[in-house]
Order: sequence, then C-alpha cells, then structure tokens
Amino acid sequence: MSGGYRQQPGASGGTTRKDGKRVAGKQAFPPPGSGGSNPKMKPRDLDYIPESVGGKEPQPAGSHIHDRARTGTTVGKGIPLVDSNAKVTGQAWYGDDVRLPNEIIGKILRSPHHYAKIKSIDTSKVEALPGVLAVATGADSPHRFGVLPVTKDEHAMAVEKVRHVGDLVACVAAIDEATAMEALNLFEIEWEVLEPIFDPKKGLEDTDEPIHWRGKYHLSKTNVQKRVFQEFGDRSLVEKPHAESHGKWTMAGVHHGFTEPHAVVAHWDPNGRLQLYTPQQVPHYTHRALSTVLDVPMHQINVIRTFVGGGFGGKSDPFPHEMCAALLARKSGRPVRITFDREEVYWINRGRHPSHIEVKMTADDEARISGFDIDALIDGGGFASFGHVTSYYNGVLATAPYELGSFHYTGARVWTNKPASGAMRGHGAVNTRCAVEVGLDEMAESMQVDPIDLRLANLLPPHSRTISGFRITSNGMREALEKVREGSNWDEKFRKLPLGKGIGIGCGFFISGSGLPIHWDPNRFPHATVHIQVDMDGGVTVHTGAADIGQGSTTAVAQVVSEVLALPIEMVHVRSHESDTSPVDLGSYSSRVTFMNANAAIRAALEIREQILNAAWEILGYHPDNLVLNDRRIYYKHDPAIGVSYLKALHKAQEDKGSLIASGAYRSPPMGGVHKGAAAGLAPAYSFSSYVAEVDVDVETGIIRCTNVWAAHDCGKALNPLAVKGQIIGSCHMGLGQVLSEKMVYGRTGHLQNANLLEYKIPSVHEMPHVEPIIVESCDPEGPFGAKEAGEGPLLPILPAVVNAVYDAIGIRLRNLPLTPDVVFKGIERAVKKAKIDDPVDLPCPRLTHGPMQSVLVSRAQEHKLRDKARQRTEDTSPYVNGVLFGFDPTKPLEDQVEGWRTATEPNPEQLAELGLAGRAWLKKEQRQMGGEN
Amino acid sequence: MVGDEHVEMIPSPAKSVWSAEVNGTPVEVLIPSNAVLLDVLRDKVGTLGVKRGCDLGTCGCCTVMIDGVPRLSCLCLAGQVDSTSITTVEGLADGAHLAPIQACFGKYGGSQCGFCTPGFLISAQALLNENNTPSDSEIACAIEGNLCRCTGYQQIIESIQGAAAIHRGEVPLPAAASDPHPDPHPEGPDEPNMPPGHAR
Repeated sequence: MSGGYRQQPGASGGTTRKDGKRVAGKQAFPPPGSGGSNPKMKPRDLDYIPESVGGKEPQPAGSHIHDRARTGTTVGKGIPLVDSNAKVTGQAWYGDDVRLPNEIIGKILRSPHHYAKIKSIDTSKVEALPGVLAVATGADSPHRFGVLPVTKDEHAMAVEKVRHVGDLVACVAAIDEATAMEALNLFEIEWEVLEPIFDPKKGLEDTDEPIHWRGKYHLSKTNVQKRVFQEFGDRSLVEKPHAESHGKWTMAGVHHGFTEPHAVVAHWDPNGRLQLYTPQQVPHYTHRALSTVLDVPMHQINVIRTFVGGGFGGKSDPFPHEMCAALLARKSGRPVRITFDREEVYWINRGRHPSHIEVKMTADDEARISGFDIDALIDGGGFASFGHVTSYYNGVLATAPYELGSFHYTGARVWTNKPASGAMRGHGAVNTRCAVEVGLDEMAESMQVDPIDLRLANLLPPHSRTISGFRITSNGMREALEKVREGSNWDEKFRKLPLGKGIGIGCGFFISGSGLPIHWDPNRFPHATVHIQVDMDGGVTVHTGAADIGQGSTTAVAQVVSEVLALPIEMVHVRSHESDTSPVDLGSYSSRVTFMNANAAIRAALEIREQILNAAWEILGYHPDNLVLNDRRIYYKHDPAIGVSYLKALHKAQEDKGSLIASGAYRSPPMGGVHKGAAAGLAPAYSFSSYVAEVDVDVETGIIRCTNVWAAHDCGKALNPLAVKGQIIGSCHMGLGQVLSEKMVYGRTGHLQNANLLEYKIPSVHEMPHVEPIIVESCDPEGPFGAKEAGEGPLLPILPAVVNAVYDAIGIRLRNLPLTPDVVFKGIERAVKKAKIDDPVDLPCPRLTHGPMQSVLVSRAQEHKLRDKARQRTEDTSPYVNGVLFGFDPTKPLEDQVEGWRTATEPNPEQLAELGLAGRAWLKKEQRQMGGEN
Repeated sequence: MVGDEHVEMIPSPAKSVWSAEVNGTPVEVLIPSNAVLLDVLRDKVGTLGVKRGCDLGTCGCCTVMIDGVPRLSCLCLAGQVDSTSITTVEGLADGAHLAPIQACFGKYGGSQCGFCTPGFLISAQALLNENNTPSDSEIACAIEGNLCRCTGYQQIIESIQGAAAIHRGEVPLPAAASDPHPDPHPEGPDEPNMPPGHAR
C-alpha cells in the first residue's frame, strides 16, 4: 500500500471555513508508479479509433497510412501538457533558474552609438577592480557565426565596429551583480562615430561605409543584404484587368514579447567540456556556433536546453551572449550566469521586420486572379539573422491558397543601424499576407461580389501545385472558409452593420516544416531523428532534440508513442534537454516539430511495437495480424481472454538483448522546382486558415476594439485539440497586438524609445476578444496521424480580418500598421474632409449590392467544392497544377502551352524601369560584376 | 547600462536580518537594506518559482501573496514586508497535493510555456480566496496585471472558472488524480477488463 499518497482524510470534498466560505480540498499528485498502475485493462476506446480500422472515429477526409497504428489511447484527446505539473508548481527550470555552485555573474557592455568604429578598448581599470574575475572583448572571439551558413556576419562581441545601439562591445564576470555593473563603467573606449542609417529606403543607395562588407558578392556599395526577384506565369494576363487593387503598406517592426528574458549559464566541467544551459528553440545552431566561436569540437560541448519561457522565433538564433558566457567561464574557471534585463531583450530583438510593402493585383472578366505583383522592402537591422529566408518568404508564401494567372515578386532586405530583425511567428509571411488579403477584399468590392465567394471560387484544390511549384497535399481551406462564414453569421452581417461596427475576413497559408534542413543535404541526412528505449521496468524513454517552447512538442511526441504502443502516457518519458543524450534535431522553427518529429517518433515506436508483438506471437501462437494491442495487454482478436500482459511480452522480447532500442527518422520526399530560391517556402505540407473578425470602431476617437473572432484552422489532425485551440487563441492574441497596438518605436534620432513592456503595448486580458477556435481536419497523407502545424499559421489571418473589418465599419482603408487610435483618427479626419461633412458620425458606410459576377462565382465555387472533395478523398487522382482554372492542360509543361509563360529569377532589362521600391535593388550590380574587389 | 563617465558606487548599504513566513515556514536571512523582495526570494530564500520578467512591474510574473494580498515582488523592498506571511507558487500545493487552481491550469490549458503561470496562479488564488463565484470580468480584473504571451488569456479564464467550481464544491477534483490507485500494479494487467459473461 502506498498510504502516503492517498487523499488526506476529509480533504477531497473540501471544508467550510469559520466564516461560512467553502474551501476546496487539495488534489493529489499522482502517486509514484501510478503510470499503468490500474490493474484492469481499459476497454478499447472505439471513439478514437478510425473507421477505416474498425473504430467509430469519423474520417470525412479519408483514411490515413497511420490508421493501423492507432490504438485509441491518447491521439485526438485534449490531454494536459505532460510538463504542466512542473509549470504549475514552479518547478520548471528556466534559464535564470539554473544555479550552479560557485557561480559568478556576467554582464555585457553595450554600444552607446548607433554606428561607430572601435579604435581601442582599455580594460586595465576593469581588471583592477576587486571582485572582477574575467573580462572579454571582441579580440577574444575573432570567429564569425550566423544562423545560415551563407550569412555568417556576427561576432560574440564587436570586432572593429558596432552596428547599433546595444550591440555587444565587451563583457565582464564578477563575484556579484553589483560589482559587474560597477565594472562596466570602467571600460575606456575610443570611438570613431560613423554616419548611421535608419531608413530602409536609404539602405538601397550607395554609401561610404556599408554596415557589412560581403566582398565580391556585395551589391555595389549599398546596404542591401539580400535581393530577390521571382516571376511565374503569364504576365500578359494582367494587361486588361476587369478589376484591380493597389496598396502601399507601412508595417512597423514588432517584437515577440516572450515573458522570459534571455539567460544563459556556462560551465566548463573538470574534463574541459562546456556545459551550456540556455533557453533555446534551436539548441543545435547554438551548438554549431559555439564550436566555431570557441574553437572547440562539437563533441566537447553539451548544450542543455532549459525550459523556454516563450520563444515565437525570438530564441532561435545562436546568440552572442551565449558565446560571452562561455568565454567568461573559460577565463575565470567558474560557472558564469548572464541574465538579460527587459531592455537588453529589445536590443537583441530578432522581431518581425519593419516593412514597406506594395501589392498590385488584378482579376480578369471571370473574376479569376490574373496576377499578384508584390514588392517588399524589409528592414533587417544590424545583422542577417534569418533574413535571407525572410526575403523569400515575403513573396513566395503568397502563392497559395489561390490559383493565380501570374506572380511577380521583388524583395530586398537591407541592413540599418538598428537591432537586428529576424524570425517571428508566421516568419516573413504575415505582412504580405495582410496586404494580399486586404487587396482581395478591395477587388471583391469593385466587382460587387462577396469576398468569401471570391475566395471560394479561386482556391487551389487538394493535391495540386502552386504557381511557384510547391506541392500542396491536404487542403482544408474551403472547409475553413465555410465554417467561419456559418459560425459568424457572415451573410447577415457583412456590409449590413451600422457605422462603427464591422466584420471582415482574412485567410492564411503557412508551411508545416521547412523542406530544406539549412545545414545539410536532405538527401543525405534526415530532418529529425528520435530514439526510443524500453527497459525491463516497462517505462518508455524517448530521446529527441525537439525543443518544447511551450507549444507542447514534448507532449505531442509522448502522445504518438503512447498511441502506437497503447501505453498510458504516464509510462512515456521524453528526454529532450541535452545534446549529449538527444539525437540531433533542427529545433523548433518553421512549424516543423509536430510534423517531422512526431513522424520520426511513430517510426521508432512502430519498430518497438513489432518486437513486442513478435514476442507475443511466440507466447500465444497467434500471428501479430491477429493480435490486438490495447492498454498494456496483447490479446487474440477473436477472444480477448487469450492474451499476455505487455510486460510479459516485453520481457520475452528482451530475453536475448536486454532493453529494446529503436531509432526512427523523418526525411521529406524530394519536391519542388529547380529555379533559384525554389527551396524557400518548400514544405512537406501546408496549413490553411480562415478567420472572421468583428470590430467596434469609435469614429470620434479612432479607438478600435476587436470583439469577436471566429478562427478556423486546418491542422490536418488535432493530436491534442486542447493544445491546438490554445495555439489558435494565442496566435490571435499575438496578431491582434501587431495590428492594433504593438510597435517598436524608433525616434527621430533612430533610438529605440519603448524598450519595455509598459510602452511596448502587448494586449492585456481586457483587449482580448472572444475567440471561437474551430479545428478543421483535412488529414494530411504524410503527417503523423494526419497532423500538420498549428503554431504559426493561425497568426496570419487575424491581421487582414481586422483591417477588412475596420473598412466595413467606417469605410476607410488603412494601410499603416499598427492601427493605433492616432492612425485611425487621421484616416477619419481625411475622410471627413473629403466627404465634406462636419461630423464623423455622418460618414458613409460601405454597402454591397451583388453584381452580375456574384452568381458566376457562386456556381463556380459549387463545382469546385465537388472537385475538391473527390481530390481530398483521392477518388480523383488526376494531376492538377496552378493554371488549370485558366484552361491549361496539367499533364503538359505550361511553358509549352502558353507563349508568355515563364519562370524567372532575374528581371529582364526592359523590366528594370518599372520595378517597385525594393525592386530598385536590381538596378545595382554586384562587386564581382563591377570588376571590384575579389 | 550605457554611459561615458564613471559613477562612483554608493557605499555598501547596511545589512540587517530579514524575517518572514514564506509558504508557512519561518525564514531569516541577512539582506542589504535596499534589497528588492524578488531578489531576496530568488537568491536568498530559494523560491525560484517566482519569476523575473521585467523588473518594472509591467509583466506580473513575480506576483506573490503578502498576507493574502497579491503584490509585485519586483516593486517591493524586502524591508517593507518584514514579518509578513508570503505565499509563492511553491506554497500553493500542499505536500503531495495540487491546489485546484494548479490542477485546472493543466486541465484547461491555462499554461503553455509556463513562465507567467506562477504569477497568474497567485493572482487567481487570491481572487478565489475572496470570491468563489467570480464572473469572467471579475477574473479579468484580477489578472489584468499579469501578461501572458502564449495563451491569449481565454484558457486561463476557463482554468480559473474551473477551479472556482471546485472551490464551490460543485465539481469534484479531477478523478484521475483524486483517487490514486491504492495498489500500484506497474507490471500491467494480466486479465482483461471484459464485459460480464465473456469470461473464460
């Protein structure tokens, strides 16, 4: 008996206090060994076993290759995160919670100048201060590092010059924080201040002192870090448009706003190995970068991922402070802890790029979208970070979910003297998506059609290809649109609400895992590897490198293993913190973890399952095909009484070799085109989403309040609906912040003015609308049990939905995010002046009378619905590529059918004159073409 | 952080003994007179569940209960709360038993990355101690000082409503954990749990 863990007598029902108030009893922790302790086997939960294998779970989108592995144990059930007990008891250990014996405190000296050369650093006074144990400067770390192998442009501390206020100059470690702070004042530095640039438009021009120098690949003498040109399709289609939309957008930079500031602890153990504790989304990149910077082989470094207090892309770069801690610890011989204050978090930034985006789009006389023309100039700040990828994503992730006649994208990312921008939830896709979806709304208005019907009649079907060559597999876009239309009562509200009240639609499309592992050839190494070990006690230990940043990746992996082996989830233990024990994993970015890691975990678990079933075969004499695996028991399918316990079968399987070990890997199938940049945006699956937002706008003050959101997201299959809903609501929150209040404010002098959580306005509980999360399950053929991503895609549609709703409310198109009251009020003022009225309450409100095109769209959408259903269920397996809507034959290359059809990654000379803002980067030549420096 | 001229450090502040009851246990530590409560709790008392998010009272991660009232420990000098009773997130669970609010944060998804969770739990528990029938807007007012970047608050409000129902006695504690199996049987079942009449 385990008496100590039983409910305290009288506690479970609660008690009544002296003052008459009821106080609830406390709930017990699970007792030790409770996992799988129920002596009775639970009956099979047929509600969670798919129809295709004899269960009752409906499968409207068809059956799945993993159906046979379903046991009805955990998949599809909204269970708590497996680490939630650690989090609610305060035992979860984040970066700053790692306290090693004998630790000392590190602090970083940051640049006071926007842009300056360091002529000399004198550290003698710092070293002389009692209590200071180590000092390091850029001279200690001459090696460059960076996220991508092609853009290594960072140092642990500034070498030669600083590139923004807050750039790292030197660091110091001392016995306590006060001494370290004191020491920062004793550095004597001679600066040569340079002329900074802050406006990304200026970054396109030649300058005397570019922020970085890329040698022969440098674009003239500009600050352009990356330029992209992509053109697909038949550009002649856009020449005589039936309807068009043209919008120029300015989007402010936003920050992830995770609640945990960066922190790192470094310790060189007695064997000379580095143990580095850091809250990282991508520990493997840090591992690689540390090896380069410290000149130590990777196997002499153990990166330990602590719990991560929110990431959202902001903890996915290898960071210079991680190198600083390691350098200081090596010099002092003691563990060094560096924790950022909130201001430093903004100096390291990596938030969403401030952007200038221009979108032109046209529709032909059948309301087909004949062309997208996108130009995106993005402000990268001082370093490259993920910017190379962002430059592509701003364009290519707009090529779906609609069928396009042509697509034209020019993009440029420039360096400026500001904290570096980088990856943030919805990486690169968010701003362009907002501009595109608002453009569609505008086109629908000029054609006098319903914007939802316009979308429904132009969707790419499941199992098709986009104009840029991305392979679309499952696609729940249509269902998502229909569900939000119904849920929000759209048809009764759109263009019918009074002034100040509005409703708007927005859609989203996002990758579910990046098809290209940045550091290696996908044809040689897998994207993800998972190891499973089952020892004599029956517990299952799963080793994975996937970083749980709160999204629940550990839970997802535990769930799929528990599902395949039919074991209670308490018997599955995920070990994912240490690079010493975890197989290499690329980490938590581009929404890859559920798709890739869970797929790898299923493979490993299937291998274990086979070994256990074979052992049961030996014991029972029935072939595994006739055995049922259910809650810790394996039995003959026609007579459940004939069976063997899981543990007995396991021990049989272990007879010759001890504990069972299996390794599973995931590799994406070969896909995509061959043009330059074809790999950007390529993914084994894509998620789709559609939101309707309802807003109240006060026309006298310009204050917008979002009241309701209906949020439908196609995540393939919700492994854990509770977690998926949490991701959808959380994405709404973050997107609402960007569209309504969040903004990194750089003043006239280029100084970041709101590096704190008071003036950087993240929505509080009072600003949150009611969100109705709607899960759409399209059952992806390659996803784990059909699942796709749910972490980033749900953010995209909220921005355009709100902007469109604001137009519905007050009839003003605003293209300057965030829509703070001053922006809205200026718009109202202009509209009042233009309409020659005195009072904004008399503003005209947009109304819709359906034009002739409406019925065309509705009937086309009806046809397409049948087409999509047949394709989704693979009843129709004919090839489909973008262009079929325009009458092309999908079996022949489009280039052979249409004269003007092209795929281009560089502009024609005659196009140079008409390029947009970012496109102007193509007017410059690279140094190597100019005969310059080699 | 950024400054050209060297400012002399002020002389070391005087140290004195600080005592309080932290999570029901009397604590006595030696602290400088200018010590902030958050630092004392994390560095001296060792309650690392109290989180530091901003140091400026803007995020609410460091919320602790002082004599039953939720307060921000980063804006509170330790000296101001000498001889009080302080409850941190570590004090909510009673030995081997989770408080209802903790169980519900897991059950309803109120915690994702978990960094803001300790602050939310304290704010919510303080509310439930006074009012076990809160409306959604009363809950919103109670947690308005806490910032969460993951959940969008909706599931946090559901968690607090769930815990309030347990406090009212309407809902029993979640069954799985309130009825620990008295006879651990980790080797798994030998006999299936079969419908009656189906036994061999």
